[in-house]
Amino acid sequence: MERAPIQEPPARAVPRVEMRGISKRFPGVRALDDVSLTVHAGEVHMLVGQNGAGKSTLIKVLCGAVHPDSGEFRIDGRPVRIESAADARRLGVAVIFQEFSLVPHLDIAQNIFLGREPGSRFPGVVDRRRMHAQARALLDALGMDLDTRLPAAELGVAQQQMVEIAKALSQNARILVMDEPTAALSDHEIDRLFARIRKLKQDGIAVIYISHRLREVFTIGDRVTVLRDGRHAATLESARTDMAGLVRLMVGREVRTHRRRFGESAGDIVLEVRDLEAENGVHGIGLHVRAGEIVGVAGLVGSGRTELARAIFGADRVLGGEVRLGGQRLPGGPAEAVARGMGLVPEDRKESGLALTRSVGDNLLVAALPRIFPNRWYRFGTAARIVADLIARLQVATPSPGRLAKFLSGGNQQKVVVGKWLGAGVHFYVFDEPTRGIDVAAKAEMFGLMETLVGDGAAVLMISSELPEVVALCDRAYVMRDRTIVGELDRRDLTEENILKLAMHHE
Amino acid sequence: MSRAAVLEGGARWRAAASRAPGVAYLLAALLVFFALFGPRFASAPNLLNIGIQSSILLLLALPMTLIIMAEGLDLSMGAVLGLAGIVLASALVAGYGLPAALGAALAVGLVFGVANGLLVTRVGLPPFAATLGTLGAAQGGALVATGGQSVVGIGPSLPALYASSWLGIPFSIWVAVAAYGAFHVLLYHTRFGACVFAIGGNRDALALAGVRVHAYHAAIYALGGLMAGFAALLLTGRMNAGHPTAAIGMEFDAIAAVIVGGTRFERGYGGLPGTVLGVLAVGVLKNGLNVLAVPSSLQVASIGLLLIAALLVDSIRGRS
Repeated sequence: MERAPIQEPPARAVPRVEMRGISKRFPGVRALDDVSLTVHAGEVHMLVGQNGAGKSTLIKVLCGAVHPDSGEFRIDGRPVRIESAADARRLGVAVIFQEFSLVPHLDIAQNIFLGREPGSRFPGVVDRRRMHAQARALLDALGMDLDTRLPAAELGVAQQQMVEIAKALSQNARILVMDEPTAALSDHEIDRLFARIRKLKQDGIAVIYISHRLREVFTIGDRVTVLRDGRHAATLESARTDMAGLVRLMVGREVRTHRRRFGESAGDIVLEVRDLEAENGVHGIGLHVRAGEIVGVAGLVGSGRTELARAIFGADRVLGGEVRLGGQRLPGGPAEAVARGMGLVPEDRKESGLALTRSVGDNLLVAALPRIFPNRWYRFGTAARIVADLIARLQVATPSPGRLAKFLSGGNQQKVVVGKWLGAGVHFYVFDEPTRGIDVAAKAEMFGLMETLVGDGAAVLMISSELPEVVALCDRAYVMRDRTIVGELDRRDLTEENILKLAMHHE
Repeated sequence: MSRAAVLEGGARWRAAASRAPGVAYLLAALLVFFALFGPRFASAPNLLNIGIQSSILLLLALPMTLIIMAEGLDLSMGAVLGLAGIVLASALVAGYGLPAALGAALAVGLVFGVANGLLVTRVGLPPFAATLGTLGAAQGGALVATGGQSVVGIGPSLPALYASSWLGIPFSIWVAVAAYGAFHVLLYHTRFGACVFAIGGNRDALALAGVRVHAYHAAIYALGGLMAGFAALLLTGRMNAGHPTAAIGMEFDAIAAVIVGGTRFERGYGGLPGTVLGVLAVGVLKNGLNVLAVPSSLQVASIGLLLIAALLVDSIRGRS
């Protein structure tokens, strides 16, 4: 295989961090495959890639939360072992995750020094004056004008972010990892954050910066490493690449599916959404799905895809706009949506899709009960017949209908969730991340099942972070960013590159 | 926003008022109501009486606040208090001195507290189940040891101490004040206190900070047991005897007082001043209904109504 290009900056000292040949396998996926990363002191190293490219796993390896199967670390040229979060901290690695690690009802100073409070003459008693003075100094160094006595619960997202940075710096971090630090910040706040980061550079701190906003590669990054499918795709100097070049490096994963024939039988509009706005933050949503179509909703993590599904299904409160199913306006609420023939196959099937401790048969029937037993009396014979029929149609691999759902494989569980709607006479399906956590063979079966559904005249809205799957399977796709739809791609234009161009921030 | 302006002067008081739990208003309303309609309610002896009656409850409610902030529960406190009272009384009857007898009661409490802590943190039982189990053990132990009879004849030392007063304030109120001071320092000025907030608020953050979360978590329950043992001093002193069933159900009053005081089971939200108000609200309500000669069966219901009222006030204020 051709080696991925690595551009080293000219003549520098020993790198601050070197990760070499890192591999990590999780059941069913190769999360990292021989990935290397080198970051110098005073460098801002950007890490980019699609969802699932391996960015988060790489960071978790660096901070000791995940143990790699193979690979080695060097810090300042010396080989080191990182077995735990404590090891990483001792070596000067600090990570600011997207989910903040602040304690809501402790104040800023207490949060910064949690577990490392400055002591006083009395054992265990904290010298609060000294703690607040030190916190004050840290905030001042970051240019933050905030009272150190404010509880974290009263801080805005940007302020929390800065407190996290202060916390990391207070640990004398020499390697600072930021996971999408600007995701929730306003432009003004981003400017201030970047000013801080430039200051950190001057102080010789090595910064690893994960971003979905490609523009940031050029505004703040010195070099950029692109990961694709768990592999190292390239490391480039920011100044010597451009947006298009990065996007090209990010795409190109193979997906195994029997290519369907598109655009054959698009029928009447089944679902139509106009100006939808919901309490969960999605807004300005307009889309439609025709009978016989699989329509994709693509976007990066946090772009609002799942929220869109929940709003359409009526699971989250709708504030404005309308959802029409088969021409009739839905009043809202999942019960009404199901009664009118809409079925949601949720992202977290174990939480929201299945009753894990009930049998396959019970799960298959749960949504269909009002339809099969209109007079409210349960007849075991009828139920058994319908369950047997569904199991055969979906080819669910289960020894018996009485098997508990939790003992099935991921792919078979997913079939049961679909089967639940099949029996209920659903003709519009929302699939949220239908291939998450199932193996390759099950994925192919899942795709086959979706094709059968639309072949029988149903309509499918498929929400997915797997761009290759959207491209391979969908007739059309909508792209989301910042909780709204930013574009629609028809079959001809439906490529990973085009989706990424819309999904990423690069105005 | 200038930092000086955030919490200084009047703004600080206003912020405190907006954060004061609903119980502050309920307590004020109860005081006014009983003062208007209860003859003798607002007299000095009666108000002191409320303080005395509330002091035992406060000894339980203080550690219960920490336990609930850490997203836990201790149902065994009343039963452990009962058992510790039996041990204390029996030791006095057997001729041991008061310090030795108190030491034995504290030891009993500590053993149960540590057991609760280990069951919750090491064994991983839900706090409800773990402490329900130790409740049974403690209550059964007390009944077996006494055959259901009171332990009488504890001698003069404890009753004398209990009846003593200083500056006109009875002994039990001083004990309660001292206990509050100790807990205040513990929660707001020590590393342990920060851990209590963090265990409820963001346990992962605490673990990532390299703190041994289990040890601190178990210590919170141990403290609860210890305080139940210590409360035996006041209970036995008040009753002049050890009584195996005297403290049954007291844990529920403690839990109610803590919740009424604004502490919540989620995210490490809560605090000790609110708990004091909650304890006083429970005490005022019980005493006031007594003064009004309301039957005791109705008094039980009143605590439940107080709890619901306090939560309602907080939820309405939280929405606005």
